[in-house]
Amino acid sequence: MIRPSKLVIRRPSIAVASLLLVVSLGATAQAPGPTAAAGNAARGKVAYFRVGCYQCHGGEGQGSPYSSAPRLGPAALPIAAFTLFTRTPRLQMPPYSPEILSDADLADIYAYVTSRAAPVALDRLPN
Amino acid sequence: MSQSDEFSSGRRNFLLQAAATGAASAAATTVAAAQGTTPAPPATATPSVTEVRTEGRAGSDYMVDVIKSLGFEYICANPGSSFRGLHESIINYGGNSKPELITCLHEESSVAMAHGYFKAEGKPLPVMAHGTVGIQHASMAVYNAWCDRVPVYVILGNTLDATMRQPGVEWVHSVQDAAAMVRDYTKWDDSPVSLQHFGESAVRAYKMAMTPPSGPVVIVADTELQEQPIHSERPLVIPKLTPTSPPQAEAGAVTELARLLVEAEQPLFIADRLARTPAGLDRLVELAELLQAGVVSTIPNLMPPVGAGRMNFPTRHPLNQTFRVNAAIAAADVVVGLEISNFFGATNIFVDQVERTTRPAVRPDAKLVTLNSTDLIQKSNYQDFQRYAAVNMALTGDGEATLPSLIEAVRRLLTDQRKSAIERRGKALAEASAAARERFRVDAAHAWDASPISTARLAAEIWEQIRKEDWSLVSGGLSGWPVRLWDFTKHYQHLGVSGGSGIGYGAPAAIGGALANRKYGRLSVNIQNDGDLMYAPGVLWTAAHHRIPVLTIMNNNRAYHEEMMHIQRMGNRRNRGVDRAHIGNEIDNPGIDYAKLAQSMGWYAEGPISNPRDIGPALKRAIAIVKRGEPALVDVMVQSR
Repeated sequence: MIRPSKLVIRRPSIAVASLLLVVSLGATAQAPGPTAAAGNAARGKVAYFRVGCYQCHGGEGQGSPYSSAPRLGPAALPIAAFTLFTRTPRLQMPPYSPEILSDADLADIYAYVTSRAAPVALDRLPN
Repeated sequence: MSQSDEFSSGRRNFLLQAAATGAASAAATTVAAAQGTTPAPPATATPSVTEVRTEGRAGSDYMVDVIKSLGFEYICANPGSSFRGLHESIINYGGNSKPELITCLHEESSVAMAHGYFKAEGKPLPVMAHGTVGIQHASMAVYNAWCDRVPVYVILGNTLDATMRQPGVEWVHSVQDAAAMVRDYTKWDDSPVSLQHFGESAVRAYKMAMTPPSGPVVIVADTELQEQPIHSERPLVIPKLTPTSPPQAEAGAVTELARLLVEAEQPLFIADRLARTPAGLDRLVELAELLQAGVVSTIPNLMPPVGAGRMNFPTRHPLNQTFRVNAAIAAADVVVGLEISNFFGATNIFVDQVERTTRPAVRPDAKLVTLNSTDLIQKSNYQDFQRYAAVNMALTGDGEATLPSLIEAVRRLLTDQRKSAIERRGKALAEASAAARERFRVDAAHAWDASPISTARLAAEIWEQIRKEDWSLVSGGLSGWPVRLWDFTKHYQHLGVSGGSGIGYGAPAAIGGALANRKYGRLSVNIQNDGDLMYAPGVLWTAAHHRIPVLTIMNNNRAYHEEMMHIQRMGNRRNRGVDRAHIGNEIDNPGIDYAKLAQSMGWYAEGPISNPRDIGPALKRAIAIVKRGEPALVDVMVQSR
């Protein structure tokens, strides 16, 4: 029998708050890591699906209210913060160490989510 | 003649005759058995009892009269020999009307249909099943009904008298205590040993099931009672059903809660299974508007989703704070849980990392209050009662029944000075609610043209097609997008979730809900998870066979994604990666063709659709079919979340 998930990030606003904290930490981090320029969106798409980002964040990185996973693109965090959060996430997101997700893959994933289409005009949505 | 009167005057005479005949028959049989011989034919032309091959009214006829007295419209069953007497009485003696027999292809489908039916109609729908293999199939659905506090009425066939069992299958289909295996998650059961006992217990079972907190009940119909001619020496009566008034919270506690609410700066209600009836929704709106207090009616990212049990509050009401739930809970100085089991989960943050941790989501000075009827009935074994919540006040009583007195108490305590402060609060909440709504519309506008199709786009496309109809979402959450994008205002527009999170609920519950909606001409909409449908897809045939109109849209994401995320968590935690997380979780290679599956069982169906621009036209065609009174399915290839 399927058991209820305990995976979900329960509090989106807290998740975002944590993310912002990580952003500030990431901005001062000096450790080497992936750079935005190194990424390749086509390879990133493959990696994005292979390591399961789409499960919570959607196929386009659009985020989901169900899993409280924040939107990843096209407007994204700086890659340093993106990397830090992926390596050492807060709340429910599972951690991705370099052993299971290389810096190169991470840069590619970053390139993929930041290359996603902009949102359509809101008048396309029925009211 | 009232229900409490005797069976009926005409029937009384028949019963008396039957009693005499039965007694004589029994006596003759007993004598013959004692002598070990075949009794000699009597001198008259009257045939010997051992030669009787037909009979008059059977015990199951009386059972049908009892069942009819309870006002059931339908009865669901997968056929079984242990209730063959009752089955025959329903279709012949009872005329297959009120109740009409609904043919199901699995007992889990029968019970889940009854579950969905109740939430649309507010009345139970009985189910017949074998006392052994039937209830074993049905048990998961019974558990869902228990967790969701739905009064499913289960009738089990069983042959208790071992000497009456045909050797072979009847033995493996018999049991000492048929209700035992579901007793941990049913409210009441009985195994009557006489017809009158059946009559009284059947009526009692109905009362027990319906009295809040509601729950499933089981009544065993012994095969001998069903099949033997009626030979009661006393006239059988059908007991009068007197519904029990729902319990209300104690008056002093209600006044104390009213005082707390009136004095609060930021009171917040979290409602889960509050609105048992449409009146519950209306009363909560009245209370919230009186106090200009926020209401959270769904927290879909809790499992099971808190507040998704019933349609408690209009989704676009300015006081609805569901879509800024975290901010609303964090700001509240008084949080009142209304018929919510998982109040601890709603007021705390649980983190599932290597070390599982919990911390409060509420202010340290927040006053926590619960108003629940579940405190009146809790069992030990299954843990659906959730973690203990340490609260400041716990009111025991039915939430909906208590709201009128709470509203009155609040009215008495509200001063003009408080009213002006309350008005300001209401305006602020309305602005916050509108801003939250705008934010999730922006969220929905992302990945708009993606393929596979985003869950938000699918929800928007469905809404575009149904928003001018009298619609009812009979099942399906679609990652919480319908409650964000659609305008839910009526009680029947959201039938809620399974309760026990037992997969396999969605399809049959949707069709049960659609069965209830049929006579009102509502457009029943089912957003169907693929894995859920494959538990017992035969329910599609039931819908076609009984011409139950329902629009089913497949949320075809080709995996048990919830479970894949669990494996992902384990793999990452152990530094092994998630490359193989699909193993054991995907429902692909080959992909299932749900349109063909539905077509094979008599449905109009089309798909799979992977271009979002094709959804609208497909839905239009399917809705036209549904409006003709038939079921229709549109298979849509959707993203995981």
